[in-house]
Amino acid sequence: MESEIIRAAALLGAGICMGFGAIGPGIGEGFTAGKACEGIARSPENAGLLTRTMLVGQAVSESTGIYSLVISLLLIFAV
Amino acid sequence: MKKKSKKALLIILAIIIIEGILSIGLNHELQFGFDEGKFVIRNIESEKSIQDQINHEFQQYHMIKLFRKFTINWSVLRVILFVDLFLILFAALVRRKMHLIPGKLQIVAEMIYSFFSSLVIETVGEKKKYFTPYIFTIFVFIWLCNIVGLIPIPGNLEPTRNLNVPLGLGIMALIVVHYSAIKEKGIKLYLKEYAEPIAFMLPINIVGELAKGISLSFRLFGNILGGAIIILVVSNLTRFILIPVGLNLFFGLFIGTVQAFVFTMLVLSYTAVAIK
Repeated sequence: MESEIIRAAALLGAGICMGFGAIGPGIGEGFTAGKACEGIARSPENAGLLTRTMLVGQAVSESTGIYSLVISLLLIFAV
Repeated sequence: MKKKSKKALLIILAIIIIEGILSIGLNHELQFGFDEGKFVIRNIESEKSIQDQINHEFQQYHMIKLFRKFTINWSVLRVILFVDLFLILFAALVRRKMHLIPGKLQIVAEMIYSFFSSLVIETVGEKKKYFTPYIFTIFVFIWLCNIVGLIPIPGNLEPTRNLNVPLGLGIMALIVVHYSAIKEKGIKLYLKEYAEPIAFMLPINIVGELAKGISLSFRLFGNILGGAIIILVVSNLTRFILIPVGLNLFFGLFIGTVQAFVFTMLVLSYTAVAIK
């Protein structure tokens, strides 16, 4: 009984962790993409450089989401 | 020249086949072969649930015990050695015939190298362009490690899926960054930077430096493992029909390339900040 409660709590925690952890990267990546669009509209000749920088910035801001993914995987499979 | 490139292709093919045979011997769950007179490529009617399969993915490691508690993870090391062998072979093929007018292989190698060379010069300056080989190697290695899972051989897992590989790469990057910082500034100035605004900030700065390496390696690990698990779950839901190809294209090629590039770019910018 007790172990079932712990398992249920871990699964619930994994869901909450992933849900809240996805908010930040979503906002951040969308903001980055919007700013990159503005930059490309202003100077289309720099499109390659801007896209590269945007991808790197997005991957960096995605890392908090990846951390929450790792935590929720631990909660699902290791608890 | 044409004959030789054909020969090289044959050698690479032979290596892949040998690797496949090796992996058949070592992999616990063989997924293609003859079953009741039919040729089965993948056992769809598996009795195991998704949970069991994912657990299996986590623990599918063949450990070789050397002495006491010291073990070697052979199923990861095997793929890493395969990637290394491929890189060495490529380098040997390119270097054997260097011409002023480049051949096909040489053009490819020169293109990638000059891209990274210009990136390094852009970031750390003309004088410090001796970082290029390290940056180039780390990119090619991580990139090949990320996309090696596309080759459909049982047991051909991406080495970066295991945390030990990205952690090793992250520690190596930290060592390079700090060594070049000490070499550039001298030990006194380097140690002084840790107590920068006030001496009270010392522990925070140290933790910040360590967090760089950890965030680098966990980013790579989480991306690759998350992609692998998503591929496994969705493939199970769609009964391995057609969808996994697109998923492999996205998670294997696109995410793998972007993450390898991000890793190298971050190592480069950490170095640039450290030696500025």
